[in-house]
Amino acid sequence: MSTANPELSPAMNSSLMKEGPPLQVLMRRIAAAGSDVLIEPRIGAQGVVPVDAVVTDLFELLGLDVPAALDDFGVNKSVQDRRRLQITLLLTWLCADETLQTHEKNAALLLQILQQVPAELAKYTTFEQLVSDSDRREELARLTLARMHLLPLGETAAQAQDRLSVLSSAERERLVAASRAAEARARLLREAMARRAAEEAADKMGRE
Amino acid sequence: MLRRLSEHPAAPIYRNQSGHRLTEADLPQLAAFEARMQALKVAQSAHQQIAQAPDWLQQLIQRSYAQVPFYRALGAPPKCFQDIAPITRSELSRDVVQFVPDDISAARIIHYSTSGTTGHALMLPSHPRVAAGYRVFYERALARFGVTLRAGANDVGLLLIGHQQRCFTYVSVAPTRGESGLAKINLHPNDWRDLDDPARYIDALQAELYSGDPLAFTALLAIATKHRPAALVSTSMTLLPALRQRLSTRFGCPVLDLYSMNEAGPIAVFDPELDGYILLQPELNVEILRPDGSVCALGERGEITLSGGFNFCLPLLRYRTGDFAVLVHESGEWLLRDLSGRAPVRFQTCSGAWLNNIDITHALKPYVLAQWTLLQRSDSSLELAIQPYRHDDVIAIKKDLYAIFGLAQVLNIAPLANDIDKVLQYRSELQSN
Repeated sequence: MSTANPELSPAMNSSLMKEGPPLQVLMRRIAAAGSDVLIEPRIGAQGVVPVDAVVTDLFELLGLDVPAALDDFGVNKSVQDRRRLQITLLLTWLCADETLQTHEKNAALLLQILQQVPAELAKYTTFEQLVSDSDRREELARLTLARMHLLPLGETAAQAQDRLSVLSSAERERLVAASRAAEARARLLREAMARRAAEEAADKMGRE
Repeated sequence: MLRRLSEHPAAPIYRNQSGHRLTEADLPQLAAFEARMQALKVAQSAHQQIAQAPDWLQQLIQRSYAQVPFYRALGAPPKCFQDIAPITRSELSRDVVQFVPDDISAARIIHYSTSGTTGHALMLPSHPRVAAGYRVFYERALARFGVTLRAGANDVGLLLIGHQQRCFTYVSVAPTRGESGLAKINLHPNDWRDLDDPARYIDALQAELYSGDPLAFTALLAIATKHRPAALVSTSMTLLPALRQRLSTRFGCPVLDLYSMNEAGPIAVFDPELDGYILLQPELNVEILRPDGSVCALGERGEITLSGGFNFCLPLLRYRTGDFAVLVHESGEWLLRDLSGRAPVRFQTCSGAWLNNIDITHALKPYVLAQWTLLQRSDSSLELAIQPYRHDDVIAIKKDLYAIFGLAQVLNIAPLANDIDKVLQYRSELQSN
């Protein structure tokens, strides 16, 4: 299906957009991600599964050349990468679905999706929410399809983009509001602590 | 009581004001906390799966991942306890408010500063009930030595003793103990109108408990007081056995060496019979970690890592303290042995063999030292600074150190500067610490 609407985002407007699988199939797959998908990602000495190995397995399953550099998924990441790496595991699970395997595969594009989509989603959601919340499942499914230049079966580019925008915009607004509230509280705490300095604070039985 | 403490003719120049900051509503909560801590035994358990951890630890983990911004940002808690990534002072320094649970009101939050020996001051969030909560652990420690605190109305329960150029000094009362008195004094001559006042004042107070660090207690030894408190509690720095014995003989009472930190409060008390520090808090999980983050076996030395504690403004999850020890379970007690701050430092002998800083501490045990530092230069020479500096000690210490380093060892012993508070005790230019 080709698209020519100038109001659409470049990704959706491209003639590369093709018809993809039914959205519900992907959403059911996400919902079915259980404890065999959410295994604690290996970061340093913590965790079990090295995410770079799971990514490697996905490329091999799809018959694609494994990229040389998988640093973004390596064990030397920091604890702050935990959410992103958990979502990466979920995304590899999703990308392994048979309905996606029938479409043309591109190693560079797949790597880009695995690098970017989890990083974007980790800013405001978690693996658990992506699995348990229907809006988040739908967002993940739609975002993955869009990045693969695929449209949900039966939808036009305009319909797909509209729905994806609604899903992600609402979350981004919630995130902005939550961030503002968190920073306001942090400022309040810092001011409160600074007001009640060190040893003036309260009696303690000993020096430490 | 406050007037009695501050207006005594021999009273020092009290420079500051402080207080318990407890409200009426705090008192029953504090009493309930004390009762609960008194009823619980200290236990440690190995629990790979969080679901098998003690209830209090499971609740702490759930609460932290739900309410503490730092942990909430990481997603849901892992299933395995050891998959919770340890944190260090560095994470706290970056932005400590990220570790304060959302349900803690800013209205009564206070802070204590800690600088340790690693550099910049760190403000740690706390609360008046947390400060008051120290008492139940002090009482548990004292009970091991047969001491029960009884001070009440009209008594002075606690004398906090410092000895620094400048020191925060004040008087206060303890509402949970019948408004018994508390005084924090500085033995430095600058804070007194007359040289005889410290002895007169301390004897007049008849305080039940003295709390201080080895430097302050060494200064106290030089003051001709007659009063015999129920106990002395030493904190903040290593208390060598010889100094402990000297104090015990002088004051005729137990002298406790308490391992305590601002981040977690009183953690353990030294028991000479078991030659180790007995853990004090029932809801403080202690692990010993290797540098790579894996957990040491019982009896293996590594970094003390804490989870739990009673500071509800700063719940700790696998907090690497920067102190090192061995955790053992003996005679029904959990204890820390070979305790030292900072990572092990190695020193090289004349024969090329390597010694651990613990070996140096053991060598200095017979001496009544309040504080010391040892530096090995890149040319292998040793610089030992001690306080107090006594000629007889210097001769004997040299003999002991030559015995372990070799007679050819270049060794200089000098007085430690008086105005240094916490020091980096062991350093070596021969290895990175």
